[in-house]
Amino acid sequence: MRILIVEDDADTRAFVAQGLGQAGHQVAVSEDGRDGLFQATGGGFDAIVVDRMLPGLDGLALVKALRAAGNVTPVLMLTAVGGIADRVEGLEGGADDYLVKPFAFSELVARLNALSRRPAPRGDDTHLLRVGDIILDLHRRTVERDSRRVTLQPREFALLAELMRNPRRVMTRTMLLERVWDFDFDPKTNIVETHLSRLRSKLNAGFDADAIETVRGAGYMIRGE
Amino acid sequence: MLARLWRSTFGIVVLVALAFSAATLAIGTIAYEVTHEALEEQLDHRVAVETRALVAEAREGGLAAVSEAIRLRENARNEASLDYLLIDRAGRTIAATIIPLAAPTPGYQEHFGFRRGDATGVGQALVTPLRGGMLVVVADRRDLAAIDRTLASLFATALAAMLALGIGAAVLVGWLTRRRLSRIDATAQAIIAGDLTQRVPRDGSDSEFDRLAATLNRMLDRIAALMDNLRQVSTDVAHDLRTPLTRLCNQLDRAADGDPGAIEAARRQADDLLEIFAALLRIAEVEGLAERRALGSIDLSALLEDMAETYRPDFEASGHLLSTDIPANLHVEGDRRLLAQALSNLLENVLRHTPPGTTATLAATATQDAIEMTLEDNGPGVPPADARRLFQRFARAEASRTTNGHGLGLALVRAISFGHGGDAHLSRSERAFGVTIRLPK
Repeated sequence: MRILIVEDDADTRAFVAQGLGQAGHQVAVSEDGRDGLFQATGGGFDAIVVDRMLPGLDGLALVKALRAAGNVTPVLMLTAVGGIADRVEGLEGGADDYLVKPFAFSELVARLNALSRRPAPRGDDTHLLRVGDIILDLHRRTVERDSRRVTLQPREFALLAELMRNPRRVMTRTMLLERVWDFDFDPKTNIVETHLSRLRSKLNAGFDADAIETVRGAGYMIRGE
Repeated sequence: MLARLWRSTFGIVVLVALAFSAATLAIGTIAYEVTHEALEEQLDHRVAVETRALVAEAREGGLAAVSEAIRLRENARNEASLDYLLIDRAGRTIAATIIPLAAPTPGYQEHFGFRRGDATGVGQALVTPLRGGMLVVVADRRDLAAIDRTLASLFATALAAMLALGIGAAVLVGWLTRRRLSRIDATAQAIIAGDLTQRVPRDGSDSEFDRLAATLNRMLDRIAALMDNLRQVSTDVAHDLRTPLTRLCNQLDRAADGDPGAIEAARRQADDLLEIFAALLRIAEVEGLAERRALGSIDLSALLEDMAETYRPDFEASGHLLSTDIPANLHVEGDRRLLAQALSNLLENVLRHTPPGTTATLAATATQDAIEMTLEDNGPGVPPADARRLFQRFARAEASRTTNGHGLGLALVRAISFGHGGDAHLSRSERAFGVTIRLPK
């Protein structure tokens, strides 16, 4: 992927650029909003990482200008202020995702991957999700693995559905908290881990292969092989 | 000028007084004119009636009969009597009660000058030609003039009184207003000078000034509370962050000395600090924003069931029990995520601070004007000495000093409840300890 990083803090910029570079992405950097907007409108990027607070032109204004110019490159906004109002403002301004500093690098990578391969908006008729030998019916709220019925609690069902909507993509703990629980905070109890381990044991009962893969230090992924 | 005058109490009262004076003047003038006209008409009428009677006499008995009639009337004279003059064609007087100052001409004469005895007078006269002479009937205008004077002086007095009262009232009201406002002003000056404990004195009269004073005092109380809160937070932050930061320094020192476990420990310590900051920012955000945010309607029953389902596995895993008593169809205006966080904090408190085997109950009840959500447990509870400060930032029961946590959970619960126009308090029954969040319907 070609990724543009617009960040005024030199340490963060270097850290993110180096990390993404090592992960095999082509990285361009910019130190302020005006230059960032200039580079971004030049095009050719698969994703843009923008800091919220920037000299010259702040991140929000940058995204708005970009969107006004018809550029739809996915934007991940970084911020030190993780306030609810702030987040809403950012997303309404045209950012596609929001990440609060300090963040784990794996979280950034997972979110960038999710952004760059956003599924095309699905028609409502596709109520069947199918990954590998697992079939999930969103209407009848049933799950089968290899034609065997698996009975799940509502949360476990929602968790599996979210993973199956994003096959072969790492879903981090915070992404799952946001999307399955609608939590915008980080509970101290490991509710994601607990529910995931229950889901896993129900899915795996009678099978050798683990249906859900744990990506160490990053999150979970359903591969379907 | 007039526009500016309107703005001061003094000016308003002066303007009102002027308006009343003008109205008095107008009413006085109209009343005077109307009365004057009516009295004149009355005089004319009397003169006309008398003239008709004397003309009838003349038709029957000639001038001699008229002369005789005048004499009879003069004999029976009283205060209200009319005056008469009868002259022949040559202008010689035949009978008279007065001497005219000018030769009479036929018709009505408004101001007919005459002399009677030593005095002169002015009258309303009707001069009628008769066969062989001329009859003049005169009504003295003396009474009319007297009434005119009385009326004029009456209204002049009223006008003067009105003006005097108006200006007096303006001065008085202006002075009273300034005196009342000067108390507020003095309080404000004292507060500007730094004495935040000053309050506007009230007199309990429930007048508009008194109500304004009450409102200002409530505002000052609120500001003072916020200031106190801010001061408290700064102190707390300084105090409670010193310990983990010191520990972080020590761990980094140990890491520098080559202790392999120290880096991981320092990492955890830093995470911990970030968590404290996140919680503090969250509380500040909720306190600052909540009331202004648009709230939506939430299915509280569903939210409570969701939360119970979310936490039940962790409760079971740690040997706790979680039961629910949630009626269907509870709805409340609020922010779903914030309420979820408040409930999550309460549930995690039970997990963290009660021993295995503890049973917790998540319950909700609807009262007339509020919905109460309570999470109770039969754990050891909190000693009364600690209970009072439990909702403050960094407040932790002494017994829990050794366990995890920063003492920010309940402060956030309270901030979220306040943000929804409700409150949070400890609920204590014989065998259970719990926290209740009350939300207005």
